[in-house]
Amino acid sequence: MRMADLIDANPNLLLMLQHFNIDFRVSDQTVMQLCGSQDISENLFVSIANLYNGFGAKGHQPFTRKDMLQVIEFLKRSHNYYRWDKYPQISSYIRQLQEDHAEKELRLLEKFFNEYFTEVLDHLDYEDNVAFPYFITLLDREKRAEEGELYSSKEYSEHHTDIELKLQDLKNLLLKYVKIDGDLDLRRKLFFALYELEYDLYIHSLIEESILIPSGVSIERAQHV
Amino acid sequence: MRERSMYKSPLHIVIMESSRIIYEGLQAIICQSELGCRTSRIETLEELSVMLGTTKVDILIANQLQFVNREKEIRKIRKAHPTLSVAGIESGIMQKQSVLTDTSFTLYDSAEHIIHTLEKLERKNQSPALLNNESDSLTKREIEVLTGLVNGMLNKEIADALNISIHTVVRHRKNITVKTGIRSQSGLTIYAISKKIVEIEDIEI
Repeated sequence: MRMADLIDANPNLLLMLQHFNIDFRVSDQTVMQLCGSQDISENLFVSIANLYNGFGAKGHQPFTRKDMLQVIEFLKRSHNYYRWDKYPQISSYIRQLQEDHAEKELRLLEKFFNEYFTEVLDHLDYEDNVAFPYFITLLDREKRAEEGELYSSKEYSEHHTDIELKLQDLKNLLLKYVKIDGDLDLRRKLFFALYELEYDLYIHSLIEESILIPSGVSIERAQHV
Repeated sequence: MRERSMYKSPLHIVIMESSRIIYEGLQAIICQSELGCRTSRIETLEELSVMLGTTKVDILIANQLQFVNREKEIRKIRKAHPTLSVAGIESGIMQKQSVLTDTSFTLYDSAEHIIHTLEKLERKNQSPALLNNESDSLTKREIEVLTGLVNGMLNKEIADALNISIHTVVRHRKNITVKTGIRSQSGLTIYAISKKIVEIEDIEI
C-alpha cells in the first residue's frame, strides 16, 4: 500500500506523519519502505495508523523498547501541536468572536476557554516533565526501580480525563445554548478547529491507553518480579 | 399572531361540521380575527384522513357528535399526526369534555371566547417544536440547585438552603449534566446565563 493513497483516503494521516516527524512528500513509497527509511517499526506505524483510521489497536505484536521511545516522542510532538497550533488558533477565534459581539456570555466563554487552556497547558507540562521521563526511566533498564515508587503507569492513566470533558462542554455551549447572531465564517472555523482538536486528542488518549500504558504496566510487572 | 405569517405557513384550520350555518358562522368569526389562517371544510373523518395525507392541518374543529363510535379511528389519526390539535363543538347534548379533543366550545360562546380557545391551541401546537428545543429543560428543583451551583455554593449549602439531603443534591446535579450535556461548573454558569436562569450581573467576571 502506498502512503500517498492512504493519505488520500484519510487526510488526517498527515497529522500522524507530522507527529512522527515524517515529511509530507512521501513520493511513491509504500508503508513498508517509508517505515524502513524512517527507522520506525511497521508494527508501531500500522498500529497508530489504524487508530487514525478508526480501527482498534488490538492484535499487534508487543512493542519494543525502541517503539516505546518513539511513541513518547510522538506524543510529545502532538503536545506541541496542541500547545502551539490548535489551542492558540481556537483562542484567537474566540477572542475575535468576543470582540465582534456584544453578548456578555461571550466574555464568560472566553474566560472559560482561557481557564481551560491553562489547565491543558498544565497537564501537557505535567506529562512532558513527569510522566514521560518516568516512562523513559522505566525503559532504561540500567537505572531501574527507585523512581518507580514515586509514580506509576496507573496513576498516569487516572490523570488525563478532564481535557476532553471541558472541550465537550465548549462544543455543547456553542452548538446548543450561547446565542450569537451571524458571523458564520468565524464560527465555522471555530467549530472545525474544535473538532480537529477533539479528533487528535481522542487518538492521543487511545495511543496512551492502548499502547503506552499497557506496555508500561507490563515492564513494571517484569521489574517487580 | 401576525408575526407568524411572516416566517411560517399560515395556520390551517379544518372545520368538520355538517351544518352549513354553523360552518359559515365559524368561518366568519375566524376570518375576522387576527389568527391569520386559512380554513377548509370537510364533512367526514375519511376526508380528514385524505387531507392529512397531502396537507398539514394544525387544528381540527369538529362537532363532537361526529366522534360518536369513531374513537378508534380518531385515536389512530391523532397518533399518526401528533401536531394536530382538536377542538370540539359542544352542542349541549354531550355534557362531558371528550377525551378525544384538546379543548371545546359551545355554539353559544362569544366570538372572542372561541378565538381565544383557538389561540391557546395554536400555542400548544407550537409546543412540540419547543419541547424538542428544550429537551434539556430543567425541573424547578434542578433550576434551584443550578442557581446555587452557579453562585458557588457547596453541595452541603445547597442541601441546607433547599431543605433536601446532599444525596438529593448530587442526584439533581447528575440530572442537570445529563440534560444539558455540560459537566463543568463554569460551563454550567454560561448555560444558566444563556437560559436566563441567572443574570450575568450576578456573576463575578
